[in-house]
Amino acid sequence: MEKEEVLNGIYRCAKCKLCTITSFHPREELFPICPSGEYYGFQAFYAPGRLEILKGILDDDIEESDELLKIIYSCTLCGACYEKCKEITKVDLNFSEIFEEMREIAVEKGWVLDAHKDLIEKIRETHNAYGEVQSRYQRKEGDILYFVGCTSRYREKEISESMIELLDKLNVNFQILEDEWCCGSTLLRIGQVEEAKELIEHNIDEIKRSGAKTIVFTCPGCLMTFKKNYPQLNVELLHSTQFIERLNPNLRLKNLGIGVTYHDPCHLGRHLGIYEEPREILSKIANIKEMKRNREQSWCCGSGGGVRSAFEEFSSWSARERIKEARGVADTLVSACPFCKHNLNDNSDGMKVYDVVELVNRALE
Amino acid sequence: MILERLKEIVGEDYATDDDAICTSYSRDQHFHFVPKKKPAFVVRPGDREEVREILIFANENRIPIVPWSTGINVRGLTIPEFQGSILLDLSRLNKIEINEEMMTATVEPGVTFALLTQEAKKYNLRAAYPDAPLTAGVLTNNYLRGIYQTSVIDGHDHLLSFEMIIPNGEIIQTGSRALNRDLPYFRYGLGPDIAGLMSASPGTWGVVTELTLKLYKLYEKRSSYFIGFEDVEKSIDLVRKMAREELVSSCRLVDNQSWLIGMCGSFEFEYDKLPNFVVCLLIDGLDGIFQAKDKIVRELIEDSGGRLLDIPESFKDNFERETLGGTERSCMVFGIRGNYHCIGLYGPLKYVPEYYELHRKTAREVGIPEDYVYFYVNPIARFHGQLCYVELDIFYDGSDFDLAEKLKEYNKRQMKNLLDLGIYGWFRPYAGIIEPSIERAGYLTELWKRFNEVVDPKHIMNPGKLW
Repeated sequence: MEKEEVLNGIYRCAKCKLCTITSFHPREELFPICPSGEYYGFQAFYAPGRLEILKGILDDDIEESDELLKIIYSCTLCGACYEKCKEITKVDLNFSEIFEEMREIAVEKGWVLDAHKDLIEKIRETHNAYGEVQSRYQRKEGDILYFVGCTSRYREKEISESMIELLDKLNVNFQILEDEWCCGSTLLRIGQVEEAKELIEHNIDEIKRSGAKTIVFTCPGCLMTFKKNYPQLNVELLHSTQFIERLNPNLRLKNLGIGVTYHDPCHLGRHLGIYEEPREILSKIANIKEMKRNREQSWCCGSGGGVRSAFEEFSSWSARERIKEARGVADTLVSACPFCKHNLNDNSDGMKVYDVVELVNRALE
Repeated sequence: MILERLKEIVGEDYATDDDAICTSYSRDQHFHFVPKKKPAFVVRPGDREEVREILIFANENRIPIVPWSTGINVRGLTIPEFQGSILLDLSRLNKIEINEEMMTATVEPGVTFALLTQEAKKYNLRAAYPDAPLTAGVLTNNYLRGIYQTSVIDGHDHLLSFEMIIPNGEIIQTGSRALNRDLPYFRYGLGPDIAGLMSASPGTWGVVTELTLKLYKLYEKRSSYFIGFEDVEKSIDLVRKMAREELVSSCRLVDNQSWLIGMCGSFEFEYDKLPNFVVCLLIDGLDGIFQAKDKIVRELIEDSGGRLLDIPESFKDNFERETLGGTERSCMVFGIRGNYHCIGLYGPLKYVPEYYELHRKTAREVGIPEDYVYFYVNPIARFHGQLCYVELDIFYDGSDFDLAEKLKEYNKRQMKNLLDLGIYGWFRPYAGIIEPSIERAGYLTELWKRFNEVVDPKHIMNPGKLW
């Protein structure tokens, strides 16, 4: 983005702070929607304050400090503020994109968190965000490619295992890249655009070699990154819930007889506009009830945008807030993102947390 | 040394001199008129005792204090004028107590209209609302006298009493609070009306830490009407009748382009095809009374010469919710061009055509395009003196610095023009309003300054905002 474009966007912010709460009418109940603002409290941690700080950076009128880095990097980039603002004021400026831009500028100035330096180092060495020795799958058949992603592969393995089992049960011929690298999402979200380039180039080469025509993702972060940052791939990109919905007429699913509530992952919902497919599927296998903050106005799990790796206490608090809300609605919380599941599960205080594909796999007769 | 002392008072996490945090409080939407300036410190006290200790410390050391409650709709009033200021972010003080029996709410500065609405609704009560977003502070809006959405029935003054801490640390209780803090429900108590004297000031006396205000009944029976007029005189005639007969709970005269969007809650409508002026009416009440009022209002509408507009039901629902439950969609005006400038004033209804013409004429003279110019009128009960809140609006793009220069010139000329024409008073003491006004106010200004000197002799309370 050009400086003028960003500044013009900043001048549009009237600082009404309606971006900090969910739509009030007609429910007339007050729910906050900005995790970092609610947690840290100072104006700087809400979108209008961050915009002001970005202006300060662009005008070269701000001093580097630990607090400045905290403000820049503690936003989960959930995009709730933008959803609310565009509804009320028709604003063009996408705040998630602009706060990512702020991080790119910060990286150019050398303002990088130590936690993120460690993350970068791990990815450089192992090509995944967890520093794990690469695990490999032997799946090489078919036009459909399942892009596993770091979290499903190394932390929430039940998701990838369920997805593979599910595809097998449905007799889908599919392949998994033998040498799948991190999609680059983690790096791009923390402003490390240059660092992500090699990962993207590698994956593009591998995918082209695979001949896949459709790529299926269980991770919305990977899907979003492919849509935004993998140019000229000329391949269909689908989230697992979209893929399952497409197969739906042929699926024989049993109702699991459980009460669930669905947590919209920010990347899947607000960033990609996929709200209904996960609900459609869940409604066939479970009794689904909505939390008050849902769809465009969902509360973020607190793990995105490099926040979990850098601000663990805040990230856990955000997840606990979501768990509290879910507990009032159902016994089981379901999401459609390994990163959400990872953070919510770690802070679930005994509440059952699943990914949609895990339940679908169980429900497949 | 200052930061250390502030941290001693409020705790390590709630006081800072960090440049980035201070930057986030340095500019608001009125930045073309009040330039950006960073406070030197931001401090977030957690209770009134901490507020008191901060004030005593600042007073002893002559450090400027800028009180800030929720930071919304402040139009430059919380942007520091002096180096070294402490910005007192009061948002952590957010206790609220509804007294159903007394029909009141007692709130701290961090309580927003959204929170008040949520709590009052449990008792079938509502607040009187400004056209500010629901995220704005209840205490400050009432203290600054800026409530007008239901003023045609609720009146103008909803403030009963408050507690204020002044720079030397003394605590003033106004009205009946002065005699018994547990009975804060009567505006007048011992001696003069101190609440009246000290309200409507932008943090220049002290810090209001608690305020008790009136709440009103919520009725289930409601109806609303939108009546279009091509002629401003005819629309005013209907407004006059509604205000005199005290039939409606809300009566708002707007043009067909600006605030109507928020009242209807949708950008998707051919507003430009509506008549130039629209009177929006809301009736509510107990069933029998409601039926009677509704009948009379419909008859008056029929006789008015206006056209009853065919507005979707969802728009009417939105109007009722926004009027009786607080403003959310009215911020859609920011979707017109991004920012807006207004001169808010009080004056008699019969002057409205002249205010409107003057608005257009002055805007034209300084080169502001005609389609940037809008207006808004709200009668206030009781209607003696035909009291109205009038807003002369210009919706513009905040990144258009050339237009901002024209706006500055507009402001300068228009304030003088309005004072010459005749107004009752200004909505709030925004930048540029005080100077041309105090010249005309004679010894009142001198007296005001002297009173201020007694309470704040070291001039630490938001200095530079009035004089």
